[in-house]
Amino acid sequence: MRDILIAVAVALAAAALAGATDNDFYLRILFSICVYFLCATGMNVLLGFAGQKSLGQAGLFAAGAYAAALLTTAADLDPWLALALATAISAGCGVLIAAPSLRVKGPSLAMVTLAFGIVVEKLVTEVSDVFGGAMGIYAIKPLTFAGAPLSMAGWVFFAIGLCLVVHLLVRNLLVGRFGRAFRSIQADEVAASAVGVPVLRYKVLAFVIAAATCGLAGALVAQQNQYINSDFITFNLSVFILLTVLFGGSGSLAGPLFGAVILTVLSSVLARWTWIEHFVNGALLLFALYAMPRGVAGVVTDLIERLAPDPRAAGAEGSAPHVLALPTRPGARTDAALLEASSLSKSYGGVKPARDVSVTLTEGHIHALIGPNGAGKSTLINMLSGIVRPSEGRILFRGRDLARCPVHAICRLGIGRTFQNLRLFRELTVLENVLLGSHDRMRNGFLRSLVGLGGPEEAAARRRASDILAFVGLSHLAGAKAGSLAYGLQRRVELARALATEPYLLLLDEPAAGLNPQETDALGDLILRIRDQGITILLVEHHMDMVMRISDHVVVLDYGEKIAEGMPAAIQRDPRVTAAYLGSDDVTLTLARPEALAS
Amino acid sequence: MTTLIQVLVSGLAIGGVYALIAMSFSITFTTTKTLNFAQGEFVAVGAFLGVTMLYVLARMGGGEVSFASLPPAASAGLNYPAAALVAGLVLGALGLLLFAVAVRPFAGKAGMNWVMSTIGFGIIVQSLGLAVWGPAPVNVPSPFGDDVIRVAGAGIRPQEILILVVAVLLMLGLDRVMRGTRIGKAMRAVAANPQAASLMGINVAAMMLGAYALSSLLAGIGGLLVAPIASASLFLGMGIALKAFSGAIVGGLDNPRGCIAGGFALGLLESGVALWSAEWREIVIFLLIIVVLAVRPNGLFGARSLDKV
Repeated sequence: MRDILIAVAVALAAAALAGATDNDFYLRILFSICVYFLCATGMNVLLGFAGQKSLGQAGLFAAGAYAAALLTTAADLDPWLALALATAISAGCGVLIAAPSLRVKGPSLAMVTLAFGIVVEKLVTEVSDVFGGAMGIYAIKPLTFAGAPLSMAGWVFFAIGLCLVVHLLVRNLLVGRFGRAFRSIQADEVAASAVGVPVLRYKVLAFVIAAATCGLAGALVAQQNQYINSDFITFNLSVFILLTVLFGGSGSLAGPLFGAVILTVLSSVLARWTWIEHFVNGALLLFALYAMPRGVAGVVTDLIERLAPDPRAAGAEGSAPHVLALPTRPGARTDAALLEASSLSKSYGGVKPARDVSVTLTEGHIHALIGPNGAGKSTLINMLSGIVRPSEGRILFRGRDLARCPVHAICRLGIGRTFQNLRLFRELTVLENVLLGSHDRMRNGFLRSLVGLGGPEEAAARRRASDILAFVGLSHLAGAKAGSLAYGLQRRVELARALATEPYLLLLDEPAAGLNPQETDALGDLILRIRDQGITILLVEHHMDMVMRISDHVVVLDYGEKIAEGMPAAIQRDPRVTAAYLGSDDVTLTLARPEALAS
Repeated sequence: MTTLIQVLVSGLAIGGVYALIAMSFSITFTTTKTLNFAQGEFVAVGAFLGVTMLYVLARMGGGEVSFASLPPAASAGLNYPAAALVAGLVLGALGLLLFAVAVRPFAGKAGMNWVMSTIGFGIIVQSLGLAVWGPAPVNVPSPFGDDVIRVAGAGIRPQEILILVVAVLLMLGLDRVMRGTRIGKAMRAVAANPQAASLMGINVAAMMLGAYALSSLLAGIGGLLVAPIASASLFLGMGIALKAFSGAIVGGLDNPRGCIAGGFALGLLESGVALWSAEWREIVIFLLIIVVLAVRPNGLFGARSLDKV
């Protein structure tokens, strides 16, 4: 709440500043600050939260500017309507630039966005019969108020108001589940989809938000200048927008403001010497990346924390009561199998980590999946959770075929999972990690979050998350960064995150790997308690004593094939299992010495 | 027929430059998994350093010459190779600086900040170039004169032949080094796993520095090669580097031969499209790149990478 008040106060102060001066030069600087603030706010969502680098924002700026120009000249529309339409049009262009970006990663993504920017730059330069080229488009209709075009001060007031509204809307979105989801994509796309975040949709959304604000800024510039030409649209503009976010502090809500104010003022001071302005921008870009990776906002936050430490950060929360119930979703218990995988095969070229594997999971049971290294256990877990597509076979979960389901939809249907090599969102807190698990269980959609009505839903999710943390015994660490915890605790955070998806079926890929004997015992008890909550479990594990102690049913894989299944006691005596593990029939499987079996 | 030869020759010539720069991208990418997004600025600065060298040599030979339009004699004899050598060496040194300042601190870390830091480095280099040489384009004479040679009716500039010959020789040499020598093997080892490579006694830091020096050297030579057939300004490099990058990506960044093929293909495509409409040349090319990447994210010849879970 405090940040809203600060935002309003900053806007009022800016407006007061604009009211106090009638110097056209200062007013223009204020207007420019607003323009770059708008660009940076959207770009911050894309870069700072979703972690997607776009080097082509100038193209989206152009989309807004030229849409406003053509709509008010060629189509002779009302300037206000044109402004709104221009924003919508550039948002549409955002989808266009997002589409190829979904499949492309790394340097190629930078290339695609860069190419998009260049294409637009060349289009507005070369297709001069539509866009006027270097001559530009004149007589763009400015915004009017009470029949008269806005004065320069009027433009500044309007722009400040617009900035405030855009900032508050984006802020509402980012403080709740949408902001978390964006950050989860930046951290780890596979983990994000496994906890139910539809990664593709959120990427497109981030691109669209960035496109809309850039387009809005472009339209404002075109209408205020009443003129636009191709010289506005350069690669330097794209870099400047990027720099504003990075220098101000990407991933921080205040970052765009710091960036826009400092860089715009600096640019207007240096504008007389082109090469120096250019040089300073380059140097600041390097400097920001090198010396202050969290930008000015990060420096300011650190400073405030040093001067006035946040009392909430210091003391951990009081010990929560030991909650014994997990949030689970309602659903009729089925007598039939919870999950039925039949004849699953997977091949990577010549390597076949799964060959004609069929398993049936019974509701309320703990199933264990064992086998030597390379037996295809993780592959099976990955196929069940949708991360790997089976080459053949089908998976029925609660009567639904999972063949065509994307990973996040499988999570939505009620399959949660952990990973063999931890995939936590390391930069987020333990609580945020668990809240991300509830992402798909929260019902506040885009519009409700945007206007700030997600509060009750968020509060409910936080209650569920703290219940889960209490259940797994992590309440005291809720505010700690997940990546900073000891290994064993990180494993438990991942388990808590998976529980937050409220699964019917929980897939645990070597949950005890790296744990000491005491921790392994405690984990076994925890898994039993989870089972008692009505959650079915399938775990891959090498710790045989734990497997034999807690599981109701064991499946043994070897070289991608199922070689045995049944009750733990029966498996222990099975000669095929012994052979698979020890390579010979006449050596007894020594369950007392699990380390002989562990990798 | 005449047009076909014309398109072929100019496409291969400019494609040679693209291939050379694409190769330079591949060299750093296969070694460090990073790229120089300032390669365009490096190409332009290489061209201007070369021109400056030609200018200095012409002045030393006596006579008033104008920097903006050097007389053909300025490139004659050993002047042009000497200028290319200087441009290459200075750029190589610049590449070392780039690696130390803008790549090393960010390489291998999440977030790909090296994309932005190399862009920042490029902006700095370009702004210094603007301060020294100004934004105006200069005329660079070709060492073999600017008279058009007629082959079956098609006009061919000697510089185009020179570009093609030099580019092909350089690339053949590099290909030999990458595939046939211990240095090449060491570079690939560093790319695959720097830790393991260093445990095997490979000097990883030296390999990475070497890759950046070599890559920048190619940019410098490429710049001076292309300067006589383009209007050489400090903004010349961006388009070249982007197209070379496109060629590299289409061919697969991790595949040097694919990069070369991609560079040539892009040059031919460009001169083919230019035949139809010079204005739409770049628009068509970049749209095509976007589409290719959308359909085949790892390029046409690139290896698919698997994310192990």
